[in-house]
Amino acid sequence: MLGLTKKQRRNIKRTSLNILEWIFKLAVCVMFLFPFYWMVITSFKPYLETLQFPPTLWPETFTLSGYFTVFEELEVLRYIKNTLIVTGSVIVLQFLVNIPAAYAFAKWEYKGKGMMWAIVLATFMIPGQLTFMTIYYMFADWGILNSLLPQILPTIASAFSIFMLRQNFKQISDEVVEAARLDNASEWKILWRVMVPMAKSTVITTVLFSFIGHWNAYFWPLVMTRNEELKPITLAIDRLKSLEQGMNYTDIMAGNVILVLPVVILFLLASKKIIQAMAYRGMK
Amino acid sequence: MGQIELKNIGKTFGQTTVLENLDLTIKDGEFAVLVGASGCGKTTLLRVIAGIGPATSGELYIDGEEVSDLEPGKRGIAMVFQNYAIYPNMTVKGNIEFGLKNNKVPKAERERLIAEVAESVGLTEYLKRKPNQLSGGQRQRVALARAMVKKPKVFLMDEPLSNLDAKLRVQMRSELIELHKKLKTTFVYVTHDQTEAMSMADTIILMNKGVIQQQASPEVIYNDPNNIFTAQFIGTPPMNILKMSNGCYLGYRPEKVVLTAEENEVEAVYKKKVQIITREMLGSETLYKVRYEGEKEEANTFMVKSVEDTFGEDEHVWLNVALENLYFFDKGEMRIRENDNAEDYAACVECLKGE
Repeated sequence: MLGLTKKQRRNIKRTSLNILEWIFKLAVCVMFLFPFYWMVITSFKPYLETLQFPPTLWPETFTLSGYFTVFEELEVLRYIKNTLIVTGSVIVLQFLVNIPAAYAFAKWEYKGKGMMWAIVLATFMIPGQLTFMTIYYMFADWGILNSLLPQILPTIASAFSIFMLRQNFKQISDEVVEAARLDNASEWKILWRVMVPMAKSTVITTVLFSFIGHWNAYFWPLVMTRNEELKPITLAIDRLKSLEQGMNYTDIMAGNVILVLPVVILFLLASKKIIQAMAYRGMK
Repeated sequence: MGQIELKNIGKTFGQTTVLENLDLTIKDGEFAVLVGASGCGKTTLLRVIAGIGPATSGELYIDGEEVSDLEPGKRGIAMVFQNYAIYPNMTVKGNIEFGLKNNKVPKAERERLIAEVAESVGLTEYLKRKPNQLSGGQRQRVALARAMVKKPKVFLMDEPLSNLDAKLRVQMRSELIELHKKLKTTFVYVTHDQTEAMSMADTIILMNKGVIQQQASPEVIYNDPNNIFTAQFIGTPPMNILKMSNGCYLGYRPEKVVLTAEENEVEAVYKKKVQIITREMLGSETLYKVRYEGEKEEANTFMVKSVEDTFGEDEHVWLNVALENLYFFDKGEMRIRENDNAEDYAACVECLKGE
């Protein structure tokens, strides 16, 4: 290091720090991406190659047999339809329930508001595993176990969505709401024309989280469905484990690829909005 | 068109009472300025009139019609907020148009009104922009245009200039005065700044702790204050007040004092030998801080404003105030006027000679 000026030394230090930073970032990426990569390549390997040791990092022979099993034998599209109906209905209903609820919690004053908010927060903390029995019996009483409703109804009011949206609505100044009231806008109009556009990122994020949650739902449909006709894709993919003797990794991974693909695509499309929602500070 | 009448208005927030039994009439076409220190209830009062913070008791009439229970959007009023409160997701045009759409104004009519109002506040070329592409002054104009386009009976303004820099504020101030002249509608303007109040108002409504201290024109409120609070709130520096031996108070404005080197240079009822403690040369005038001769160091000091810059620090001079520039206040800090209460007034003048 002798003979170098202070500036040169500083530059070397900075460059080496940069390199270290990149190595670290790369390592984190590999840690997260490698399982996905492994899943995808395994889904294209023939059965015997999946058992080979040492494993191959790229399929020696490509096969679509896994996908054939998933689509033809498992008839996965039937289950995807169920999942789409459940997820779609939940998102639409959540939209109509949670957004107005969050607006009321953020901008209205009424009796019992604190109490109601406490209840919302409480449901946030109570896991579904605690309540599924009573809910199951309730739905049995109502006679709706033979429909998709048990998978839809319990999650319409989402504490998480209400919480996120309320926090965002609270950041919007009261004066904007008051200005809209003075502009003779109805509360409904204020909500959809003023508040929701200003909270766009959060709305998209909560919808996305809700989509991921319901697309991947496993426990709830597992206890709520007895009828094969009503099962979602997650339970169908799970069945691949026992469809033939032993674990056929080709089939299982092909099923998983189909399961996670929509979620990954959606996340890539909306990641910018999610970051915005988490870092939203409002316009001063 | 837009006379505002408040009768027996009360407003409480939980346990706190902000306004109680308040009566107020603001005449049609008047530029009324509600002024007072922060927390005095002036904004609360404005929100009562707007209907966005309705009164807990009492009646409110606009244009002779009771509107106490009417929704804000149906009262025929428009409001300009301190933080502009424009809709950030809408364009300038969208902002101006929102109220019109809600009032079901037909499209052709809307276009005409928007063009007209945008022209008058100089926003024509910005109509397609989003608010975040505008400067503070332009946002303020959007807020104004949004209010004007509805052609309201009453304009309410809540410290609309406080977020602008000093230069722009002075400019907008005179634009608002012009706007008022042009529109001839009632303006109710809230500010904590007495200069703003003095320069813009037809009528100043001075409030303190939820009570109206005085409602009068700027000239009257300056020359003929009702009480010590008003006398000290209006005018910079505030009126000098001192307690007399009979328990009453004497007041005189810093700018009405004549300082002289010798005792008998001018005729004056009130004469005191004072020492100049500090001197601030402000250009057109000079501000002196003085202490009465013979008083201790910690004793009260008084302000004197003079157009002449004759004296320096530590000089000993004579302070002279003529009788017509002296104000007397009773023990309850209310004004004693010669016309209303000649007896007490005479007693105070008598007491003055002994001071």
